[in-house]
This record gives sequence, C-alpha cells and structure tokens, in this order.
Amino acid sequence: MRRLSMGFIPLTDAAVLIAAAERGFAMAEGIEIELHREVSWANIRDKVNVGLLDGAHMLGPLAIASSLGLGHVRVPLVVPFSLNLNGSAVTIDKHIYAAMGEVGEDLSTAPGAAQALGKVVRQRRAEGRDPLTFASVYAFSTHTYLLRHFLKGGGIDPDRDVRFVVVPPPFMAESLRGGLIHGFCVGSPWNSVAVDADVGRIAVLGAEIFGWVPEKVLGVHARFANAEPELLYRLVRALYAAAHWCEDATNHEDLARLLSEPRHLNLPADVIRRTLDGRLNSAPGGKLRSDPDYLVLSRDGANRPERDHALWMYAQIVAAGQGEFAADAAQEAMSVYRPDIFDQAVGPVPVKHPEPDCVATQFGEVFDAQAFLAGRTVA
Amino acid sequence: MANDLSLRIVIVDESPVRAAILEEGLKEAGFENVLRIGSRNNLLERIYAIDPDVILIDLEDPSRDTIEQMFQVSREVKRPVAMFVDQTDSKTIEDAIEAGVASYVVDGLRKDRVKPILETTISRFRAFARLKAELEEAKTQLEERKVIDRAKMLLMKMKGIDEETAYGLLRRTAMNEKKRIMDIAQSIITAAELLR
Repeated sequence: MRRLSMGFIPLTDAAVLIAAAERGFAMAEGIEIELHREVSWANIRDKVNVGLLDGAHMLGPLAIASSLGLGHVRVPLVVPFSLNLNGSAVTIDKHIYAAMGEVGEDLSTAPGAAQALGKVVRQRRAEGRDPLTFASVYAFSTHTYLLRHFLKGGGIDPDRDVRFVVVPPPFMAESLRGGLIHGFCVGSPWNSVAVDADVGRIAVLGAEIFGWVPEKVLGVHARFANAEPELLYRLVRALYAAAHWCEDATNHEDLARLLSEPRHLNLPADVIRRTLDGRLNSAPGGKLRSDPDYLVLSRDGANRPERDHALWMYAQIVAAGQGEFAADAAQEAMSVYRPDIFDQAVGPVPVKHPEPDCVATQFGEVFDAQAFLAGRTVA
Repeated sequence: MANDLSLRIVIVDESPVRAAILEEGLKEAGFENVLRIGSRNNLLERIYAIDPDVILIDLEDPSRDTIEQMFQVSREVKRPVAMFVDQTDSKTIEDAIEAGVASYVVDGLRKDRVKPILETTISRFRAFARLKAELEEAKTQLEERKVIDRAKMLLMKMKGIDEETAYGLLRRTAMNEKKRIMDIAQSIITAAELLR
C-alpha cells in the first residue's frame, strides 16, 4: 500500500478526489490517499512544489500559470486527469440584480443577463457612481475568464469599466453582504450559499457561458510523474473509477453526505446535493436555474485532459493581460496537460467534440485555436 | 537606496501572539519598520497605504490568493510586487513553507537583503510551533493526571483501599491488558457512570 498526501479546497468539485480516498477506489489500486484540506490555491501550489503534498485538486489555469512561471516562481506541474468540467455560476448582488430586471432585457438567457448588467454599469457611470467590483477565487482561474467573457457580452470592458478582486470562496457571501463586492464567479456550492443567505441571485450558470469548460484537475509535480509513472497510472485509474461512481445520480445522496462532513466541506448535504444534480435556486425558495451540464464529473470523456483546453486557458491568460503571448509558451502550456498518461492508464474513452469550439462557447467571440497559435488574434 | 534596516515589513497573521513574537524577532535583528495587520478588514487598502517592501503571511491565512491577485493588477499598485525568492533558493522556500509562512518581496530587491528577514521569520515560526506543541502536550498531561486521580478516588471508595494500592491496581491492570494507565482509568470512570 502506498500512501499519498493530496490537497483539496472545500468545493463540490473536489468530489472525485474525496470519493477516491473515502469510498475504496484508491485502496483498490493499492493506494491510501491522505486528504489535506487547504485554505488557499497558493498553499496548494507551494505545498505541491516543496513536496508536502504529492498532488492536489487544482484550478486548470493555476497548473498552466505555475508551469509557465507566471505570477510566481516556476513550478513544473503535470495534469494527467481532469476532475470535472463546468460547475461554476455567476452570482450578482440582489439589489444590482433587481436593477437588471428594470432595463427591459430577458434575464432568463445568459446574453440577456449580460446586456442587462451592461446597461446597469453604464447607467451607474452616467450617474458618476463608483464602478462595480467583481470577485473570482484566484487570478488564474476559469472563474476569472468566465466573468470576463460574460461582462464582454454586455459591452463591458473588464479591464476598464469594473474592478476585479479575489475573495476566498467561504467569504463570498459575507463580502457581498458587506458591499465590498457586487458580484462573483465561484464554484459550487458557494453560489447557493449566497442565495440561501439572501444576499445574491444566481444570474447565470457557467455552462450558459461556456458549455464544456475545463475546471479542476489533478495536478502533480513533474518530478512525481517522471519518477513513478506506474504509481501515477494507478492513481489515475482510481480517480477514473471514482469519477464514474460520482457521475451516477443514484450515488448522489451518499456523495452529498460524504462531502458535507466537517472534515470535507462542512456544509449542509442538501445544498451540495442540489449542485450535484445541477438544480440551483436562483433566489431563496425561488426559481430553479438548471442545466444538465452544470457540473460534469465524468461523462463524455470529461476526465481526459484535452490539450486544446490547455491552449484555450493559455489564450485567456494572454487576453486578460496576465502573460504575454509567445509561441513556445503556448506549446509549453499544452504540454502541461497529459492525455497520453490518461490514455495509458484507462485506455481509450469516448470523447465529446463540443461546438463551435473546444469550450462550447454559448455566445460572443468563438475561440480560434489556429489563429491564436499563429499570433493573429488574442482570443 | 535606503539601508536594509529601514525596509518596510508587513506581517499578516491572525494569531496576535505569533505576530508579536515575529515582530520582536525582526526588531531584535534591527528592522525598525515592522507592522502587524490582521487579514479581515480592508487588507488590500492597508497594504496599498503601507506600500511594503516585504509581506510575511501565515500559510493558514486564506488571504494569500487575494494578495497574489493584487500583483496581477498593475494599475492597483504603486509599484510592481512579485514573489522574490527565486528558483535557485529553493531551500529557503522549502523551509518557509514547512515552517508555515509565505513571503512576498517587492520586485528588484536583492536576495541577500531579504535573507536575514526570512531566516528570522522561519526560526520564529518554528519556535512558535514548538511552543504550541509543548503547551498542548502539557495540557494533555494535565488532563490525563486528572482522569487518573478520579479513577483512583473511585477505586479507593468502592474497594476501601488506600491511594497507593489503588494506583498499584491501575498500573497492574494496564500492564496485564497491555494498555495505558490512562485508558484503564477512563474505562473505570465510564463504568462507574454507567452503574451509578
């Protein structure tokens, strides 16, 4: 039996890793996973770097940025497994959301909600009021890029018209209540927590912006992948079996209970259950906003780390001004994702090919990988 | 360039005791501009206002991600800030993370100017962790002492024996059952409560 220390952040999408550790899937591969709950993505990165953790639940863009040495010292990481796709939502302060309802847009569609937010932002500017502040969970995160795309959809320049801050997920609802932020994009179940606390309204689900977007991954240090490839295959197989179990709705009640435990998420099981099922209350006791693709834990090849997803994330990093475009950096970003390790471990799996681009962009600018690689456009 | 001892150092730590220990250590080393702040209220505004050369932050503080994002948004800061400790000094990074502290240093500050600050920080964080462990240990010992005393009293009352005999009985039972005296004492108390 090999013992591996794995870090996670208390989020629903740590489900596959937690299930692998606690429901016998790791054991079946001769691995004992010791879970460590962490308070920041920076800790996850640093502890994997110095070897206090063997691997961790990680943001896809964090794995890319760290490997490229953006924003911090370079930490070469390897991503052999995608823990989930999608799973985020955009929550807006309930007063701002009420104002969005007054400008004649259809809030039930994502482009409509974006247009409405754009009108509110311009209205506030005309009145000489402070710009709105939006929060994501980490600078290099899909949440940042979802928010930017959503804002652009409403004619808002994310770099000039609004402010961006980072707030740890457990403090989102509180920051909204205190007026420090006006909206945020975060993974589940923290949107529902803000709704249940009656401070925010879920404006759009992440899947209504990008329908097939990379989210959390298993990230390990490159030295682990190089030194013990067989062990990594076993770990990937354990995660794949766990992911399959998590995807099955008949296990959601057990999974929600497991995640709700104090040592894991320490939140009510029913809130977690709603996010697993993709049914989110957009207002307290109110309308459901649901999407079968809200959170994808395994099906349609979701666990295979696709290189075009890695390239898309790098393009977002460049577009957000977090790094400058370089052709070799683009290649390096793609090589962080290792579908070859995944294939070697679990064999070929059927993979979905989303339209119109690799993240199934639902509205606004479509990602053109060839043009981006040729340096012709910034996504 | 200002001399090293005038570097502005900010300590972000919700533990007032540890922050005080670290501040004292840095002041002993001659650093005069040391400020302690908690992370809860207006952390970013306060950091902008102080405009520090070095930020030291407890690893268990969730504000690390908030601080790191600030470095990405150049228009928000007066000068670019970046994690200073580079790849060649991985030993220092490792020591700091293991001691439970992270550091951010303004871009362009030379490594040798920061090293004494990091060394002091690492040793003070370690000292604090040791202190805490010793305190926990002492607390546990005290609790165990109390449990054993109570079990002894119960035995004395129930069997009409003196203290020394009662303790001997506990010790013998523990040896025979290959358990700790503390565990035997605890089960006597539990049994007595059940039978009361």
